[in-house]
This record gives sequence, C-alpha cells and structure tokens, in this order.
Amino acid sequence: MAARAAPAGRRGALRRPLLTERAQEALTAYAFLAPFLFGLVVFFAYAFVRTVYFSFTRYDLFHPPQWVGLDNYLAIFQEPRFLTALANSLTFAAVVTTAQTVFALMLALVLNQKLKGITFFRAAYYMPSVTSSIVITLIFIWLFQRTGVMNYLLTLAATYWQMLLAFLALTALVQAALVIAERRRHLPASVLEPSLLVVAMMVAAAATAGLAAAGVVRAFPRQEPVIITWLNTRRRFPDWGAPIPLEAIMMLNTWTTAPTFMLLYLAGLQDIPRELYEAASVDGATPWQQFRHITVPQLRHVSFLVVTLGLIGTLQMFDQVAIIGDQAPLESVITLAYYVYNNVFPGGALPRIGAASAGAVILAVLTLVVVLIQRKVVER
Amino acid sequence: MRRSIGSRLVLAWIVVALLASPTLAATVVRVSGWGGTDIAIVEELISRFVKPVVEKEGIEVKYEPIAEDFAGFLTNSLSAGTAPDLFYMDIFWAEPLIAAGRIEPLDDYLARSKVLHKQDILPNLLQAFTYKGKVYGIPKDFNTLALFYNKDLFDDAGVAYPNETDTWDTLVAKLRKLSRPQEGIYGVAATPEFARFGAFAYAAGFKLFDEKGRSDLSQPGFVEAFRWYTGLVRDKVGVLPADLGQGWGGGALATEKVGAAFEGAWILGFLRDQAPNLRYGATLLPKHPTTKQRGNFIYTVSWSINAASKVKQAAFKVLEALTSPEAQQWVLRRGLALPSRAALLNDPYFQQKSPEAEANLIVFRGASDGNVQPFKFGKYGDAWMRPVNEALSGVMTGELTVEKALQQAQKALDEVTSR
Repeated sequence: MAARAAPAGRRGALRRPLLTERAQEALTAYAFLAPFLFGLVVFFAYAFVRTVYFSFTRYDLFHPPQWVGLDNYLAIFQEPRFLTALANSLTFAAVVTTAQTVFALMLALVLNQKLKGITFFRAAYYMPSVTSSIVITLIFIWLFQRTGVMNYLLTLAATYWQMLLAFLALTALVQAALVIAERRRHLPASVLEPSLLVVAMMVAAAATAGLAAAGVVRAFPRQEPVIITWLNTRRRFPDWGAPIPLEAIMMLNTWTTAPTFMLLYLAGLQDIPRELYEAASVDGATPWQQFRHITVPQLRHVSFLVVTLGLIGTLQMFDQVAIIGDQAPLESVITLAYYVYNNVFPGGALPRIGAASAGAVILAVLTLVVVLIQRKVVER
Repeated sequence: MRRSIGSRLVLAWIVVALLASPTLAATVVRVSGWGGTDIAIVEELISRFVKPVVEKEGIEVKYEPIAEDFAGFLTNSLSAGTAPDLFYMDIFWAEPLIAAGRIEPLDDYLARSKVLHKQDILPNLLQAFTYKGKVYGIPKDFNTLALFYNKDLFDDAGVAYPNETDTWDTLVAKLRKLSRPQEGIYGVAATPEFARFGAFAYAAGFKLFDEKGRSDLSQPGFVEAFRWYTGLVRDKVGVLPADLGQGWGGGALATEKVGAAFEGAWILGFLRDQAPNLRYGATLLPKHPTTKQRGNFIYTVSWSINAASKVKQAAFKVLEALTSPEAQQWVLRRGLALPSRAALLNDPYFQQKSPEAEANLIVFRGASDGNVQPFKFGKYGDAWMRPVNEALSGVMTGELTVEKALQQAQKALDEVTSR
C-alpha cells in the first residue's frame, strides 16, 4: 500500500503545482468558510439589500412594490409612534448598557474570589442568561401584576416597617459592638464578619420581638393592599424619565443579560497577571486604588466588547416588549425593533413593508453610529 | 435484437404510465387551520364527513394544521403563492385579505351547488363575510357574548338570577347586592377590552365608522356605554380579571369570586375542565335602559378558498362536506361549537336541560337580537382596538379620567384612520 503510494506522491511533487501554496491555502480557507458565507450572503446581505430597496417603496406583500423615493423616511419622522419608539430605544440602550456593564463587572469581581463552592454561585448567577427570555418575561409579568409579588412585598413592608427598621438598627448596633469587642482583643474582625453577623441578627430578632410585645414598635394592618401599577401605566418616573413599564423591562433585561457579560469579565480578570497586584500591595496601594489603576485598565478590551455587544443587543430588544403585549400601553414600551415587527405583522391589517423597512434601516444605521461613537470614546 | 425488445418494453411502460396517471393520481386539496385542540376535531371531521364523500370523486384531502400565528402564516403564504387551497379565515382579519384579491368569491359556486345554498346559513354570519356584494367565506361556526353567572353566589346573597328582561341598571342593582369587596367577592369580571365592552357600545347605538371612514368616540352612545362599563370597576361592583390573577372573564368566573362574566360559548369547555363543580347559568346580555336594545359581537371563522388555487372546484367540494348538515350537527352535539346553519336552531340538542346546551342556545340567539356587529374593524384590525383598550384600562385602573382617556384614544384613532 505504502509502496504504491510513494511513487505517486513523488510524481506529484515533481510536477509544477497548479496553484501556488498561498493560493491553495486561501482556497482551503474559503472552502471551509463557504457554508457560513453562503448563509451570510443569502440571509443577511441579500435580505439587507432587499430591505433597503423596500424602504423606498410602498409595499403590502400583495400588490407590486411602488417606488416612492424618500416618502417613507419623511413620513416615519412625523409619526408619533415611531418617535416614541426611537426615544424609548435610545433610553433603553443607554441605561441598560451602563447598568449591565457595571453589574457584570461587580458580579465578576465577587465571583472571582477563591472561595469554597464559588463554582456553584457562578453557575447560579449564570442561570438567568440561559433561561428562555419568554419564560422569564412571563414570570416577570406575574411578579409585576397589580396583585403580584412585588406589590405583596410592598404591602408587607408598609405593614411591618417599624419592626423591620428596629430589627435592622439593632442588628447594626450589636454587630458594631461585637466587632469593637473583637478588635479590642486584637483579633482581626472585618466589619461584616459573618459569624458575628449571625449572632447579631439573632440578638436583634429577639430584641425586636421583645419590643413588639412591649408595644414599643407595632404593625400597621392595612385595609387596602399597596397597589402600584407597574405595567399598565403611562406614568414616568421621574417625570422626565422613562415610562415605568419600560423601566420594569430595563430591570428584567439587565438581570438576564449581565451574567453573560459577567462571564466575559471573569475570563478577563483571570488573565490579569497576579504580579501587578502583588507589586501594588508592596507599594501600599489600597484595594480601591488597585481596582482603579490595575483592574479597570487591564479589562479595557473586555469592556469594549461588553459595551459593543450590549449596545447592539439593547438597541434590538424586542421579545420582552412583544410578550408584555396588551399588559402595557404600547407607547410606554414600544422600541424600534417592535415598531418594525408591528408594521410587518399588524393584527388584522395588511403589512406596511415600506414603513417597516425604513424603520429597520434607521435602526441599522443607528446601531452602527452608536458603536462607532463608542469606539472613538474608548480609543481616545 | 435483444436491445430493441428492451427499448420497446421501456417505451410501453412509459405509455402505460402516462395513460394511467390521470386516473391514479387524485386531486389533492390542501386544507389548513390553526393547531391546538382544533387538530383532533378537524381530523375527525375530515375522516367522518369529508373523505367518504369526496374520495369517490378522486379528491384527496391533505390537512396541514399550523401551530402558531395562523394569520401571519396565511398572509405570508398567500403572498408567496404557497398557501393552502382551503383555509380558516377569521372575521377579524378577513377584510384586508379579501380587499387584496387573494380570496375566491363563492357566489358562482353556491349558485351551482346542490347541497349548500346562501339561505342555509344564518344571514348575520354570511353578511360578515360579504364584501362589496360578494360572499368570500362560508362560516364554519360562530360565537356571541352572553352573561354567564355563578348560581351559588346569587343564592348565597339571596339575589334573583340575572335574566333576559334585565337592563344595565337592574343588572347593576343585582350585582351590587352580591358584591362584598372587603371579602374579595365582586359582582362581575369586567375585562378592559373593546372585544367585550363594544357589545354595550353597540347597544347604545355606537357606529364604528362615519361616512368619511372616521371613528368618533364622542358619540353619546359610546360615551354612555364607556362610563357605565368603566364605572362597574370604579364603583367596586366589578373587578378587573387581572386583579384576581386571571387573564380573562372565564378565568375570573372559575375562581368563584365573581358573580358574572361577559363571555362566549368558548367558556364552556374551559369551565368543564377547570371548574367542573361550578353551578353556572347563562342569559342574554342586558338591554340598554332607554333604547331597550341589546348589542353583541359575532365572532366567526369561515372556510375560504385561495383565489390562486389550481383545484378550486375540488376545494369547494371539500368545503361543502365540511359545512354539511351532518358535519355541523356532529360539531354541535359534541358541544364543540355553534353551527352556522340556521336549520340547526331546531335541533333537539338545544332542548336538553344541561347548562351547556342552555348556554349554547343563549349564545346562538345572541346572533340575532339587537344591534349585532361582526368582530371586525375595517382594514385596521388591532390598530383600531388598541387605543380603545388602553383607554378602558386607563380608566378602570384609576389612572385616567373618562374625559382624558377618551381624548387620548380619539387622538390615537385619528392617527390610525388617517394614514
């Protein structure tokens, strides 16, 4: 077998190759890339070109597209619903990207410690990211209903606030006393020493029960439960801020996306050489100074990735708005992506492909611009 | 020599195959509807009532249920030319598709048919699928709204059951006696949706569009009904289903915390499963106090034919079998839906003393009592209802005044109807 193959190989080697080595390498690369490139061209490039074309036409899927030039773009900027969607999208992107980046970094710092069982917490905190966003949104709607868990907790807080306050104050006092006592005996005790905290909480709970029995603090049973309308409202909080339902979606979105970015930060943190921290410690840098001057600059490239992905993701946020549906007024939650969808599939009416395409093109351009600005800011 | 015999044999086979194919291959009619519990029903309908009739004529039925967003599927496939031959068409989104010329008018087929005539079908239902004088669908079944009530709650409170003579005022008086908000018991579940409230607006004489195609929410009838309906919740005679953790009136009724709900016959299967011990009754919606008229919606779905289908005659044959008296009687007696054939009003099923049969009769009668309108909004669909729904919920959650809510809704509606 080998004896027969060898002459063939030698013969091939003697002949001048059809392609240079470089070209062959490139060809191999393209061959491997072909399936992906095919998908990219068919489903993205072609679709994008069609979308741009449709954005200059009036088209309802049934009648042939009619060229209308810039009409869709002019009309869309006079449509209050589109302007609302634009404002909502930009607010959403700015707030959620900031919140999720900060939150992800904080989570990563906490979960980067060498503690027993930390892998469990890493997995636990990652859970929201792998759960279906539909399921999470449905649970979330249930939490935020007028008679949901959020309002229930608020009702409890309104009823028992005196006891709660007393308990917290007593815990703090006892903890402070215990820590001072430990330090007096020259034992290293941090402010939030867990073992002391447990003792403090037990003492505080007993003391609060005593105070309640003595009638010093008391509960205020309510006739009516606290009802805050979280979803079905046009109100804004604060008055110049975002609509409350959109803010509720912001909280949900931050909570579900931060863990993915936490994972990126976690990987970034583990790449930072330990020597930097050791050298800084020797020079007497405080933990805050170490974070400020070592961790943050070292994580710059990760931050860039996180912010870019965050901006793209938040500008295209759609599913949570779609699931909330009739539970909230449209203008309080509509985003650009939902505006596009709503024009392509309006319930009980013909599609408005022209307006939808114009909206989609604006969304694409906006995303590009925001990412470019962000890049400029980071590179500076 | 051997070769020529071989080639002749092949030739003979080809000729035979070509001659035989028209008789062997049946005409295939693709039938589509939505998924869920509907699949088992349609499959049984087809095998019991359609196949025995059409197979003799060489027609093969291929059923393709669509699991989600049937309306979206149909819009896409009709525009792409891949749509089924015969399909469901909901009154809610029928008009835009008809106006786009994608649905086959059925008048000629009906004129020639031996088993299906226009006068067989309830006129209100047929009217719902009539566009510019032509019929575009044969209603397969329908629903209207009725007042469903919990007999135990009325008995406990010593209040007479609601009945057909009730007006808005007498009904509220009954419900008020029943309502004990501090104990979490309410008179009625009022859903903040035009799909329920609209029936009362129609009772008060509301007209959806004026001659210019604009909707005027300042019509006295609309405002009066709006105040009355939202007032149910503000006066704590009624409650939003959401406040009981429910998404609709049926769910609220099943919790046994509300005396009544405005729903259609779709509630029956739900109550059978979710609240089998609930003693319920049904009656017609209350009358407007001064006009003494009722209003109602007709929710209906038709069988319609794809205008681009290549087998329209065969598709109509299948349609005939699907809406035949036997098929509709089977659907009715199984308690699945209300048939669209007028003659079935005299079916012995309706004389039964079961709560379901009685409720079905009430819903059946609702289709022809007072100002009854099909559940459709011209070419606007959802876009029309949304501002009104938001106004209703804004007032019913106590966030907006009636004036402010109607003003906002009117502004939003004008944007919709002017584009």
